[in-house]
Amino acid sequence: MPVSLPAPKSSTAKLSSKGEIKVWLTATGLNIGLFMIIGLLLLIAYNGLSVFWPPAVSEFVIINEKGGPAETIAGVITKRQARRSAATGQEIQEVQIFTGNRDAYGLAFRYLDQSSISATSEPLDLFVAERSEYGKAIFKPVRIDLADGLAISVTDPAFLTEFERLVSAGNARRKEIMALEKHDIGAVNARITQLDLRLRKSSLSADDRLETEQELAQLKTDYTELATKARALRDRQKLEKLVYRLTSGEERVQAVAEIIHFYQPNQLTLWGRFKIFVHHIVNFLTEEPREANTEGGIFPAIFGTFVMTLLMAALVTPLGIIAAIYLHEYAKQGVVLQTIRICVNNLAGVPSIVFGVFGLGFFVYGVGGFIDRGPSNPLPERWWFFAAFSAVVCLIAAVLLAIRNHAPTATRHRSKIASWTENTLWITTAALVVLTLAKCPYFHGFFHEKLPSPTFGTGGILWASITLALMTLPVVIVATEEALSAVPRGIREAALACGASKWQMIQRIALPGALPGVMTGIILAMARGAGEVAPLMITGVVKLAPSLPIDGITPFIHAERKFMHLGFHIFDLGFQSPDSEAAKPMVFATTLLLIFLVVVLNLAAIQIRTHLRRKYQASAF
Amino acid sequence: MQSPPSPVPPAQLPEPVPERFTVRRGVLRLDRFMTYAIMIGGMGIIATVFGIFVFIGTVIWPLFQTPTLTPLRHLPLGISATSLVGLDERSELPFSYDGKDTIQFHAAESVTSASLGLEPGLNVGFWRTDRHGDRILLGTTDGRVGYCDISFTSAPTSGPRTVSGSVKMSPWLSLEAIPASSTITSLDYAGQGERKLFGAIVKRPQDTRLIVVGQRQKKGLMGGGKLEPTPPEDLTHLLAGAEPIQVLLPGTADSVVVQLRDNTLLYLFRSASGWERRQTLKPFEDLNSTIATMDFLYGDVSLVLGDTTGSVRILSLNVPTGGDRRLFIETQRLKPFETPVRYFVASRRNKSFVVASEKQCALCYATTGSVRAVLDLPHDIRTLCLDAKAEHLGVVDSSGTLHLSTVHDPHPEAGWRTFFGKIWYEGYSEPKWEWQSTGGTDDFEPKLSLVPLIIGSVKGTLYAMLFAIPIALLAAIYTSQFLSPPVKRIVKPAMEIMASLPSVVLGFIAALWLAPLIETKVPSILLLVLSIPLSAMIAGAVWVRVPLFQRNRLPRGAEFWLLAPLMAALGYLAWLSGPALESWLFIANLPDGSQIADFRLWWPQFTGLPYDQRNCLVVGFMMGFAVIPVIFTIAEDALSNVPPAFTSAAEALGASRWQVVRTIVLPIASAGIFSALMIGLGRAVGETMIVVMATGNTPVVDAAGRLFFGDAGLGGGQFPLADHWNFFSGMRTLSANIAVELPEAAQGSTHYRTLFLGAFVLFLMTFILNTAAEFFRQRLREKFKIV
Repeated sequence: MPVSLPAPKSSTAKLSSKGEIKVWLTATGLNIGLFMIIGLLLLIAYNGLSVFWPPAVSEFVIINEKGGPAETIAGVITKRQARRSAATGQEIQEVQIFTGNRDAYGLAFRYLDQSSISATSEPLDLFVAERSEYGKAIFKPVRIDLADGLAISVTDPAFLTEFERLVSAGNARRKEIMALEKHDIGAVNARITQLDLRLRKSSLSADDRLETEQELAQLKTDYTELATKARALRDRQKLEKLVYRLTSGEERVQAVAEIIHFYQPNQLTLWGRFKIFVHHIVNFLTEEPREANTEGGIFPAIFGTFVMTLLMAALVTPLGIIAAIYLHEYAKQGVVLQTIRICVNNLAGVPSIVFGVFGLGFFVYGVGGFIDRGPSNPLPERWWFFAAFSAVVCLIAAVLLAIRNHAPTATRHRSKIASWTENTLWITTAALVVLTLAKCPYFHGFFHEKLPSPTFGTGGILWASITLALMTLPVVIVATEEALSAVPRGIREAALACGASKWQMIQRIALPGALPGVMTGIILAMARGAGEVAPLMITGVVKLAPSLPIDGITPFIHAERKFMHLGFHIFDLGFQSPDSEAAKPMVFATTLLLIFLVVVLNLAAIQIRTHLRRKYQASAF
Repeated sequence: MQSPPSPVPPAQLPEPVPERFTVRRGVLRLDRFMTYAIMIGGMGIIATVFGIFVFIGTVIWPLFQTPTLTPLRHLPLGISATSLVGLDERSELPFSYDGKDTIQFHAAESVTSASLGLEPGLNVGFWRTDRHGDRILLGTTDGRVGYCDISFTSAPTSGPRTVSGSVKMSPWLSLEAIPASSTITSLDYAGQGERKLFGAIVKRPQDTRLIVVGQRQKKGLMGGGKLEPTPPEDLTHLLAGAEPIQVLLPGTADSVVVQLRDNTLLYLFRSASGWERRQTLKPFEDLNSTIATMDFLYGDVSLVLGDTTGSVRILSLNVPTGGDRRLFIETQRLKPFETPVRYFVASRRNKSFVVASEKQCALCYATTGSVRAVLDLPHDIRTLCLDAKAEHLGVVDSSGTLHLSTVHDPHPEAGWRTFFGKIWYEGYSEPKWEWQSTGGTDDFEPKLSLVPLIIGSVKGTLYAMLFAIPIALLAAIYTSQFLSPPVKRIVKPAMEIMASLPSVVLGFIAALWLAPLIETKVPSILLLVLSIPLSAMIAGAVWVRVPLFQRNRLPRGAEFWLLAPLMAALGYLAWLSGPALESWLFIANLPDGSQIADFRLWWPQFTGLPYDQRNCLVVGFMMGFAVIPVIFTIAEDALSNVPPAFTSAAEALGASRWQVVRTIVLPIASAGIFSALMIGLGRAVGETMIVVMATGNTPVVDAAGRLFFGDAGLGGGQFPLADHWNFFSGMRTLSANIAVELPEAAQGSTHYRTLFLGAFVLFLMTFILNTAAEFFRQRLREKFKIV
């Protein structure tokens, strides 16, 4: 049978269509990837923002299946899902309703079968109030009992303004109490602990002891005075009472001053809703957490993350830049350096938990324990003196040899042995100095009096920052080195030809040129540090820190304190809180904030990098 | 080149100023200083970074150190050969007893004694130390048994410590009906809360009898009542006529182990209907040797037996596979000694014990069945004793001298076999890889195998890679080869942002949003996975039928947005038709006989493996978020860097665009792609928070009440190893394990050091992967340097 040749035109089309399906298949990969990232960001943004949006509140009439009277509850539908009935195996549509009023109902959420809801309405007179205890309340007010025995009924036209006035007065008083308890009493307490510790010292002279005791007595009277004042304010908070009725008909009493703010969800205009939305966001960002972190704000976590990241950046920047300059400008290029470079590169891929393990073992238990109670097995005195003496001898020898070796008189042929000896001497000196310091038998720790409760020997913000700095060090080193090698050789040589010294060239030519790259590295390191949780879990993060790492009590910066962190806040709320359903909104809001932070940092880094590329594209080759 | 004629005559040139060309001393000094500072700083920093791993190494090192037995001091006690000897907690005040009314305490200079307060005329005919504490068991010649507790008080106030001992005698229990000429030849005691039991072998002129006598707590109305003696029971009839030599009581005080003259062991058990013989075994049947020593280990679950040929075997009470009762099964055989093993003493802290032959002491650890240290003695041995902390070993020779040795074995449970080998733990039916670092009781046997954790890590990584590799590589190929440059400039940063998402966020989304969402939707997910290539096939098939000139009118890289609506539509359709697939294929049988279409129930019925809400599907998907961008970025770089000369040549020869990719681009970029996979693998192995959260480190949702991480060898090991690979179950990885357990581990303990070992293993895994990746990248770079 003769072979029929295909038409030439279609042959081109067919040939060039070979594997076209596979091309389309590759497109699916990109689509999925983009869908995943965009979907995730949208999901978090939607869920995170909707936490702050005040929804309309409905009233549901529920049929009692056992034949009792119908029940009315007010709430917001938060979830719809299908459940398999245990009895029949049929799918049942059920809704999750946020009812609030945890004090009255025991739980803030309730699951109902869709079929049991007989009527839904949105009554205008419903109030939603955020309280300092028991979360939100959804209610219909009846009257307010004032401090002077009078009452204002809800029908009174002045009710709303009076309610608002009382709530804001209560807020002002609460702030006052907080300031009193946190700041004034906190300062007194800190001083008392300090003096107590001083009294425990055995080497205190009698005069000092007397003086300290007098001051202590004075402080204790101060404390009682302040505490009385705070108690009076707290009692004042309870005077005005709001009488309200739940939709079920039950009447309850609530101290007005314990209401943080309130609104009427079904009477709000869009603009009104937006105002409350903004108000919620501001509160979230600036307030302290309440109710085991599930209510209130996350200011301490933001502050902790901020301080920790900043401390980490302050540590990692000089270290990373010095190491990169050494690797790129000073070290002898060769196989060894190439190996070191590969290793540093690889360290960026080492799991963060490994660094956390090191941080716990070395910084917290090792260095922290040393600061607290001195060396655990000090050298015998005689040996220690010997070590100290040899350290001094080595140091002097090294300095003398260095002066001889590097005399700037003439370019003399240097003896290899001399420079080798010098290096050895330096290293020995360093080792001996470390030994002398770490094994000193006369040092018993700075916080000996506080033992056995550790001060630095337990996790804290300082150790967490140093651990993360070590973890991100490879990132900064690699970025800085890359930026340094992007600075064109021509410019460097021009500088050197003009008579600049090596350091002048680095300082005035190489480093400024590399600055955007270095910035990128630091920002990427900060983004990584801000989002990292695993190493923090073992080096000092806690779910609720009693005080911030920086405050108004001397010495102002408390590097040994434990701190709160956005990432750990998410982990703790979502996984270790007793009521994870109630905590979910907070987790989503915190997640949104953390994602926002990290994405902004990354975008900044990407922007700088693009800028840098454009700048050096022309001059690089 | 000619210089232009100078307008100024040379004579009028300014005087050369040499100072202009000398550098200021300050600049030179600064330069020198900076050179030093940077060199020292740079080297120091790099040394520090590597010092991390040296430090981790120093923490791990003690785990693998050989323990030592060092002779400490000798103390002549001047006691008779039949005396027993015991040690106090710090071995400062040894005590001895030789059957009289007093116990002697041997301080360094003086001997004090304390009276037992025996009734006059009462003769103690049998005495031995008890393994449970500082206690001496006593049997009198008139057939009564009891014990005395010895306690020590130390005065730790300033000055040298002084220790003094005191004695407290328990009430006597009578074995009853014993003729005057009989003697007790073996005695043991077990007490547990409301039950106390003595077991004794009584040699009478005519026969030898086994008698148990005990106390039982009377159940009062108000809870705990008084201990009341129960009448003695004679168990001789269960011995089938053989002569008993030694009796031992397990700690539960409800059973008896008897050694018979013919080297048989009997395990007698008191069930509801009375005493019965539960097991008969001959531990040294194959060697045909005689049992020389036998006693329980700490915890009273395992028996250590030594024989006259020098072999030592450990029998444990385990429930054998398929059985329902605990029986003694041989779990360990120690390396045999050369001489008969006659002496034994067990530690009261862990599963260590010391066995001795005539001239040799050996420190052993039962769980691993290893001989940890051997001490050759210049003298003979009469008695062995260990102090409560198992820090000192006392050996008494025939001249009555006590030879004290220091036992230094801080990490007896460590060793290669523990971490990586199968070990037969107490109470298990077979040797296992198991991780269970802490338990509720003091005599808990730590199970420190890293294998289940490594398997967990590998499992998580595997499923993450299964999901991430196709997506990342397809996306990288498309982005580098077919996408238009302006779109590419947006796509790449978007994917990089994905890389920077904190893993705690991914973990949270996985656990609280994704896991409940897809728990009931597994069939939909299956269909969804199928729908993706289907949409590509449909689109491709339609595309090739579009005339060429029409195709060319579309801009480069239009496929991906053309495809998006089709994928979305098909995906949605697949999602909706999931329940249909479920009711067609995945039908589970309910206990009441009815059938129900539910994948969650079908999976365990069909495969016999559990189905968890937080399973590998969830972990794999979420880890994909972490891994996809890593692979994508590096692979895309490798694919984009293929020299255009090659691709142009292929295109000029008439290859279609896919042929170019397949035959030219992919092979050339293969090393780069491989290195991308390696680095992605490294990231997945070390991922911590996603795994901790998405595998259910929480009591909130875990309705099954299973321990934290489901079945990765945890929670009593009720799941076989095959289950470690189950797709629809959770796991525990090395990194998650460290994050969860390290805060609770005591500094310097074996557990703490083992977690460091885990970190080191993790580090090695990622370091090797990354180095391999770097190596391949370097090779790629070399290969294409010339082009």
